[in-house]
Amino acid sequence: MQHIVEGVIVVNTETIAGKVITKNLGVVGGSTVRAKNVGRDIFAGLKNIVGGELTAYTELLDESRNQAISRMIADATARGANAVINVRFATSAVTAGASELFAYGTAVVVE
Amino acid sequence: MVRQMSEPIIGLLIGVSILIAILGILWTLLFTGMFVYAALFSTKNIENKGVEVAQREAQTLQKFGKDPLSNIRKQYRQDGTDSGLVYANVVYGPSYWHLMIGWFGNLVGGQINILHKVISTGRALATQRLREQAELAGWDEVLNVRIDTSALAPINVPSRVKAVEIFAYGTGVKYKGSEINNSIK
Repeated sequence: MQHIVEGVIVVNTETIAGKVITKNLGVVGGSTVRAKNVGRDIFAGLKNIVGGELTAYTELLDESRNQAISRMIADATARGANAVINVRFATSAVTAGASELFAYGTAVVVE
Repeated sequence: MVRQMSEPIIGLLIGVSILIAILGILWTLLFTGMFVYAALFSTKNIENKGVEVAQREAQTLQKFGKDPLSNIRKQYRQDGTDSGLVYANVVYGPSYWHLMIGWFGNLVGGQINILHKVISTGRALATQRLREQAELAGWDEVLNVRIDTSALAPINVPSRVKAVEIFAYGTGVKYKGSEINNSIK
């Protein structure tokens, strides 16, 4: 669940301690829509009857979010940024079983 | 000739329909069994999970010496050496038994205690996982913590899965010369 990309600092605060923001490169984002396969869906549906954590969906959303973040970082590095600040996440359900995960932030150059 | 051709096809059709019937019967039995299990044990399971999470939380708090999470928006200390995103999620849902109680509660109105308990257990689990992630990555503190709750399926679409996703995230910060920093290295 930990996501560290070498060379790019990703934070959801507006400033980074010990660093000075020298250039603002605008908002960058990355998103993904993913669904689990039918077999896992049925299994999760069974687990849902009993209640509690649905591990298959926890994993699915975690993977998707990792992908969204890496896309955001790719977008930022393409603009020549070395940090992304004020990152926010948005989740929306497109249809049952598929979710859109969206991560966005401001690409900046820090020193 | 025609009869010879059609016989295996009819056999196949009968076979498939028997298979579907068996699956249907199995599903009915399984569903009933699991529903009974949910009625008997799901409340107890949720309570046990709550106790377990509280214990884990106490351990983490002891390790950090305070709650590492806060939703201060600024990096208020100037001696930070490193920072990065930290996040954790959980998909948590009530059992069908709880949903039934919730449905009855809906008729009367007011607070639905059991659903409240399920969701707050899920949220406690998500925040605890965030603390554990922070500990794993060696952060001293997590700033600007946000906790998002979202339904897995659109509200107006009937779905098989009745659950919410709770997603907690924040910015991990490492400070110069802190004890936790040193103990991990």
